[in-house]
Amino acid sequence: METQNMPEDFGLEVYEALKYIIDPEVGINIVDLGLVYEVSLTEEGVLAVDLTLTTPGCPMSGTIVTATEQILIKRFPSLDVKVTLVWSPPWSTEMITEEGMRQLEGKS
Amino acid sequence: MSTATTSNSPGKWVVLPHYAFASLAFVALSVLLLFSTDAFSGHYFHPKLLTLTHVAALGWATMLIFGALYQLLPVVLDCKLYSEKLAVAAFAFLGVGSILLAWSFWNFELGWVLHVAACSLVIAFILFNINVAQTARKAPKWTVESDFIVTSAIWLLVTGLVGLLMAVNFTTPFLPVEHTHYLKLHAHIGMAGWFLLLIIGVGSKLIPMFLLAHHEDTKKLSWSYNLINAGLVLFIIDHLLFQTALLPVYAALVIGGVALFLLYLRDAARTRQRQDLDLGMRQTFVALALLLLPLLLVLVVSSRLALPQALLSSIYLVYGISVFLGFISALILGQTFKTLPFIVWMHAYEDYVGRFKTPLPKDIYSHALLRWQNISYLLGFILLVVGVLLRSEQVILAGAIGFTLTSLLYTANVFHMLLHKVQELKPFTYGNTKHA
Repeated sequence: METQNMPEDFGLEVYEALKYIIDPEVGINIVDLGLVYEVSLTEEGVLAVDLTLTTPGCPMSGTIVTATEQILIKRFPSLDVKVTLVWSPPWSTEMITEEGMRQLEGKS
Repeated sequence: MSTATTSNSPGKWVVLPHYAFASLAFVALSVLLLFSTDAFSGHYFHPKLLTLTHVAALGWATMLIFGALYQLLPVVLDCKLYSEKLAVAAFAFLGVGSILLAWSFWNFELGWVLHVAACSLVIAFILFNINVAQTARKAPKWTVESDFIVTSAIWLLVTGLVGLLMAVNFTTPFLPVEHTHYLKLHAHIGMAGWFLLLIIGVGSKLIPMFLLAHHEDTKKLSWSYNLINAGLVLFIIDHLLFQTALLPVYAALVIGGVALFLLYLRDAARTRQRQDLDLGMRQTFVALALLLLPLLLVLVVSSRLALPQALLSSIYLVYGISVFLGFISALILGQTFKTLPFIVWMHAYEDYVGRFKTPLPKDIYSHALLRWQNISYLLGFILLVVGVLLRSEQVILAGAIGFTLTSLLYTANVFHMLLHKVQELKPFTYGNTKHA
């Protein structure tokens, strides 16, 4: 998880908002699944999010990007939101957070 | 960072009718099985057995695979499906062809209806091949999974063409050798070339994905591909031209290929982060275990063992059952609940995610029905195999009842999903709209 050019509290608010988006297959939010690579705020007031998916070509790509945009626009209406889907570096299971791992183990 | 495109998913009307048709075909297959208990006491070239096999292979398995593949091909190849119109046309030809073929075999009327059915199926396979090949051409990166899928589509077309030749040969005999000679070819190209390669190609991508396992080394898959195709090509050449006693060697090549696929899955499973196995995945592993039965039996049927003729006939029947009603059906019964809920969910809720609290895909089907479906399937399969081996019509009937129950539970769940309507959703509340 990376935040750039923004107060730490604000970065945390963004991540908290993104935790509302659940990966439908795994049932864990996209932050704890390690799908959100970077959150940044430009001087022009653009809130930019780079995120990935567990598999390239995943049919969820459109849904997750749109959901991320919608949730951030609703949460931070005075900002422009730009969500970019990236494949580099490729997602791996090492990117799952401790909380994500705890949730995965809790499902067994 | 390289950026990605948005979703490559096709429209729901391309995919979902395949699931509806396949589930109804599975019910039809099970009901026909109820009325075919007398057909399992002799040779496999029997009108009722030909009907059951083709309903299972075409109306049930191939139909569902076509539908699922239109959704999964963009996932595996990372690009959009070439043509949705071709997919819809292939659905129509496959549906009509399957129904007419079943009618022809059940009534053993091998005239023009059979010819129309065979032509319709070959057209469906040609359209499917065009769609798969053109989609694969657009793929940004060629992978071993692409090899499996494209090659399997070609073998499907070859299977259909051999079937068409046999259909014509019924009324206008021109083939130099008896019918069962080509039937063996037709069946094995279909089983190993189409179903096996396709399932390995898609399964090697999806199963690790569902387990949250990341396994990069695909050498075993490459060798799996080489061995299965080598075994199949050598079998075809030998069967057509030489008829040597080397069939077990070709069978061993195919078995080696499947073993490498299973080892690949084992390697992937060792890296999995997801410990919970839902009912769909458990059924998938049941299917993989059931795959061992036809692998064992293919060695027996290819070895020309000096077994009593009655026992050999039963083994041939169990071999076919273990492929179509065993491995392939078990896999579909499991994977349907890994793919269809997601597809339905995506089309129903993609506009609501992030704004409203939505259900998850696993919330839109009945887990109780699925649990009973898996139990009745396994019981039905075991009873059917035992009944065929013992030549007991009562036990076969019990197995057929198990399958009928399975098909009804499955179809109820499938239509429950297909008819799913978005419920009243609660919007997310984030407190105030504090921002930087």
